[in-house]
Amino acid sequence: MRCKELEAVLEQEGLSPLPPEAQEHLAECPDCQDFFADISAIAVAAKQIPAEENPPDRVWISLRAQLAAEGIIREEAPLELAASIPWWQNLSQLFRPRMLAAVGAGILVVLGSVYVTNRPRLNSAQHTPTSQGALTSSQPKISEAAESLAPAPVGSAPAAAAKNGSPTARATRVSVPPLPREAPRDLKPSPSESAYLGESAAVLSATESALPGRQLAGNAMADASLRANLRTLNEFIAECEARLKQNPQDQLTREYLNVAYQQKAELLTAMMDSGRSEH
Amino acid sequence: MCSSTSVLGTTLRGTRRIRTTSGAAIGQLARQRPAEPVAWTEAEAIRRAQAGDSTAFEFLYQLHSRRVYALCLRMVGNPADAEDLMQEAFLQLFRKIGTFRGESAFSTWLHRMTVNVVLMRLRKKSLPTDSLEETLEPDAESSGPKRDVGAPDLRLSGAVDRVNLERSIEKLPPGYRTVFVLHDVQGYEHNEIAGIMGCSVGNSKSQLHKARTRLRELLQEEIREQARQERHSAKTQTGSQG
Repeated sequence: MRCKELEAVLEQEGLSPLPPEAQEHLAECPDCQDFFADISAIAVAAKQIPAEENPPDRVWISLRAQLAAEGIIREEAPLELAASIPWWQNLSQLFRPRMLAAVGAGILVVLGSVYVTNRPRLNSAQHTPTSQGALTSSQPKISEAAESLAPAPVGSAPAAAAKNGSPTARATRVSVPPLPREAPRDLKPSPSESAYLGESAAVLSATESALPGRQLAGNAMADASLRANLRTLNEFIAECEARLKQNPQDQLTREYLNVAYQQKAELLTAMMDSGRSEH
Repeated sequence: MCSSTSVLGTTLRGTRRIRTTSGAAIGQLARQRPAEPVAWTEAEAIRRAQAGDSTAFEFLYQLHSRRVYALCLRMVGNPADAEDLMQEAFLQLFRKIGTFRGESAFSTWLHRMTVNVVLMRLRKKSLPTDSLEETLEPDAESSGPKRDVGAPDLRLSGAVDRVNLERSIEKLPPGYRTVFVLHDVQGYEHNEIAGIMGCSVGNSKSQLHKARTRLRELLQEEIREQARQERHSAKTQTGSQG
């Protein structure tokens, strides 16, 4: 082997163990020995140079800003990738404060919806014309009375009082508990339901009898309006009570009566507040 | 010569021996090291990055930035330029990450982009005066490696240190420099370098051998220059004393 051939071997085989012919030549040729020793030393020294260097943090900051500016990156992982994450890795997400707050708000919304969908059944006669249309032919007077109440005398009373300078805040409130809901429609009322109606009637009668006979709202027209509304309510209540005596199982009449009691309580509260503010 | 702009045709599947900052030749592929707090595989991070997940981009950056930065630093010898080049390389990578289909190793793809960016910059700056095609033809008369006629018979063994070598690496033509840094400094195999440079394995071996041979010359020149300066200073001292 000649020097040129040895160099060709070194080029293709590198510094790995040389074939016997190359080793023989190397042992005999001082120049090739020097050359082999030098490039071996260079390769060894090169391995002392770090193969990794920590770049400054500013490089990533700058790069990230550039990527964001170009719209290449976004903060949140896409949904399709989130779906590919194993479910057990998502459990920890449930207990993050933001997630808990969202769940709590959701629960409140659901509870509120349930409450709202149940409660209007009592007020449907007052606020929803469609429920009035659902009344049976055996209850024409009650439906007419309910329609007469539709303009909401309760609401007009405080409004009238407010027009006359009366405070709208209710210092005294005549309250009627909500109708017990355990009795289904067209079934015999439960004892608690009957007791409730009786208790409401007694409370309202006592309150009405305590109203002062003098002018309430400080304005003759407002006072007349309040008393007219009270009369209408009383007539409606009397009609409902009479019908319930005839047919105690009439659930719809019972609900109308309950609504009327609540409206009368509101109206009495407004009338008493008006009278107090004037005197 | 290696064409740094050609399309990679090699699929790399083996593990690569990489060297840590301490210089020890240990470890597996950089992509297999769980060095980051996010416990993703590289493939998962790539998939997320393709969907625009910023955390995945950072994961990939943290996974590869140290080697890419070291490569840039060895290639240009200037930290400021190295930072600039690394950022440009990653920017190009992330812009095109949606097109990555995994035909080659991600790190190979990244390094190919880095090398292209670096070589492009070096061409623009025209820093080296040597051609990328520069080779060292064997001395025809001796049929052996090129020798400096009349020069003392220098042996580098024991005289090659890291500082001298890094200085000499900067003087290498870019093509030689790239292959030498990738192989002898960063520990890539020839088939990986072929993938990065877009050339054949034989070409990579040839470039490496020529780079080593050229480095030997450069180091010998440096040693001679140092010896010349020492002699000059000794003469000066002798003359001032006489």
